[in-house]
Amino acid sequence: MSTALMEDIATSPPAPGARRRPRRRVARPSETRGAWVLMAPYLVLLMIAGIIPVAYAVKTSLEKAPTPLDPTGGFGGVDSFRTVITDYRFVDTFVNIFATLVVWLPIMTIGIVGLALLVHASPGWFGSSMRFIYYIPGALAGVANLVLWVYLLNPSQSPIEGFWQALGVDTIKQAVAGPGNLPFILAAMMFFQGVGQWVIVVNGGLNGISEETLEAARLDGANEWRLAWHVKLPIIRPWIGYAVLMNLAYGFQLFLEPQLLDQVASNALDDHWTPTQLGYAFAFSNYNFPAAAAMSLILLVITLGIGLLVVFRTGLFGEEEHR
Amino acid sequence: MSQTTAAGRRAPVAKRGMFDWSVGKTARVVTMLFVACMFVLPITGFIAMAFRSNEGVAAGAGGPFGFGDMSWDNAQYSWSQVNGFGPGGGGLYTRWLLNTLAVAGGGALLAVIAALPAGYALARLRFRARRTVLLITLITMVMPNTVLVIPIFLEVNAIGAVGELWPVGLIMGFFPFGVYLAYIHFMTTMPQELVEAARIDGLGEVSIFWRVALPISRQAAVLVGFFAFVANWINFFLPLALLSSNQNNQTLPVGLQQLIGASPLFNPTVAAGLDVKLYMPQLALATFISMLPLLIVFLGAQKFLMRGETMGAVKG
Repeated sequence: MSTALMEDIATSPPAPGARRRPRRRVARPSETRGAWVLMAPYLVLLMIAGIIPVAYAVKTSLEKAPTPLDPTGGFGGVDSFRTVITDYRFVDTFVNIFATLVVWLPIMTIGIVGLALLVHASPGWFGSSMRFIYYIPGALAGVANLVLWVYLLNPSQSPIEGFWQALGVDTIKQAVAGPGNLPFILAAMMFFQGVGQWVIVVNGGLNGISEETLEAARLDGANEWRLAWHVKLPIIRPWIGYAVLMNLAYGFQLFLEPQLLDQVASNALDDHWTPTQLGYAFAFSNYNFPAAAAMSLILLVITLGIGLLVVFRTGLFGEEEHR
Repeated sequence: MSQTTAAGRRAPVAKRGMFDWSVGKTARVVTMLFVACMFVLPITGFIAMAFRSNEGVAAGAGGPFGFGDMSWDNAQYSWSQVNGFGPGGGGLYTRWLLNTLAVAGGGALLAVIAALPAGYALARLRFRARRTVLLITLITMVMPNTVLVIPIFLEVNAIGAVGELWPVGLIMGFFPFGVYLAYIHFMTTMPQELVEAARIDGLGEVSIFWRVALPISRQAAVLVGFFAFVANWINFFLPLALLSSNQNNQTLPVGLQQLIGASPLFNPTVAAGLDVKLYMPQLALATFISMLPLLIVFLGAQKFLMRGETMGAVKG
């Protein structure tokens, strides 16, 4: 949801006042002091919900898992990381994520770009109302989206009952747990829930293209197809990169959907289908906190890497670096 | 959402080819309408489901989307089942609703209180660590917040507060996107000259924020509050990890998961031991009601959201 505004934030021009004066002046002590006072509430929250948990997870991950014989734990070095990586489920969880990403990311990217271009090619009320309609499922995020999909996936009362019959699927368990079905179902769920907000983001990028540029291309004889392919697409590349990277990071943290689909499929799915589920199982089923901490740190490093790419490589946040 | 700007900007194009329905235009409109139907029909059918009867659903009454099977009585019956869930006469759903209001609202309030001064400081004050704080904010903003949940659980567990609501609200107050929104707000709406003038008038840095910046930040406050509230309302993993141990202190998303788990559709053995029967109409109603507060907040903030879209586009 928060990405809905991202278009304008990403495209927002540097403030008029920000550029006029030279930036390189010495920080005044009173200004520095004021800044710290004003940032104090935020920094406290950053500590509580960000820095301290990560530091504590690092410390926990370096401890020994308590066993019935030695309940005290104590320093264990990288044992917990070894436990996690050599766990028979570890590689599988990443294979599952990759399988989902292979299905989902291309559909998502083509969907986002295609719909954004279609909306942009539709002036007036039609385009904007379509864009609003595409966004509606995004409001049904999380568990609500899941219950909606349970309604669609359960052949006994689904409005797409005929589709399931054609596939020979009679129960929701068969639909969800059929071999190889899950990546496709997850892709459909996440597409439904997420595509609209990204259409708004990419559409924001398209709205940033000046009318003169488009008019010049039209005068050169470009039709709408060529305009989209040769003019609009290259210009919005940063937004597409942003969308792909953010969705990639989203894919790595998948938890809710597989966890709850397992529940509606009478536990026919693997309980530890994604890395986050595995980390959750380490904490809440095995009570192996060091391993849970190690698993979460591995995921943290992956998503942090993607986050750094988003900030430094998409070019959308570049302005901040030079201000 | 930014209809006004978008339409305004492209208005000249609208005149071109208004009546020539070429193959390309027909294909475009048909495609877009088709996709719109794929998005709207399931949701319509799902909302209809909340007003249907268990018998009607089992018999497939009322057409493919069951519109003919809807009635207010059905919804009332379903509500009695949904809110009847829980030990000793139920009422858990109402409890979860109030819990969610408390943590999502409290978290959103904290997010606003923290975001406005921090965003102002990052936008309009010069200090050494500015770039570092901004970078940390950007990076935490683009990372999925679920990756921090297990570390946060370990932290909260270490202080023995698992199962209590206050840590959830407190942690929901950390909302770096809100700081970034406030930062952009002050960058675009408050000229540096205004700050300089206030300094010449002898105001201290904190007073400048309090007396000059804060009065012009209602727009930013509503936006930060709205986005924080929505994010908190649908947050599943954090309350799941922190509150699972205490059934009374759960939030709606976690509670909905429990209702699914108690449905005879998916878990006949558990459901057999319950007084209430939670079939698809009841689950749909529980979900539908859980989304209503978001709808209310959206309608309340709508005026500001529309303006918010144009906020960043002000070229000064």
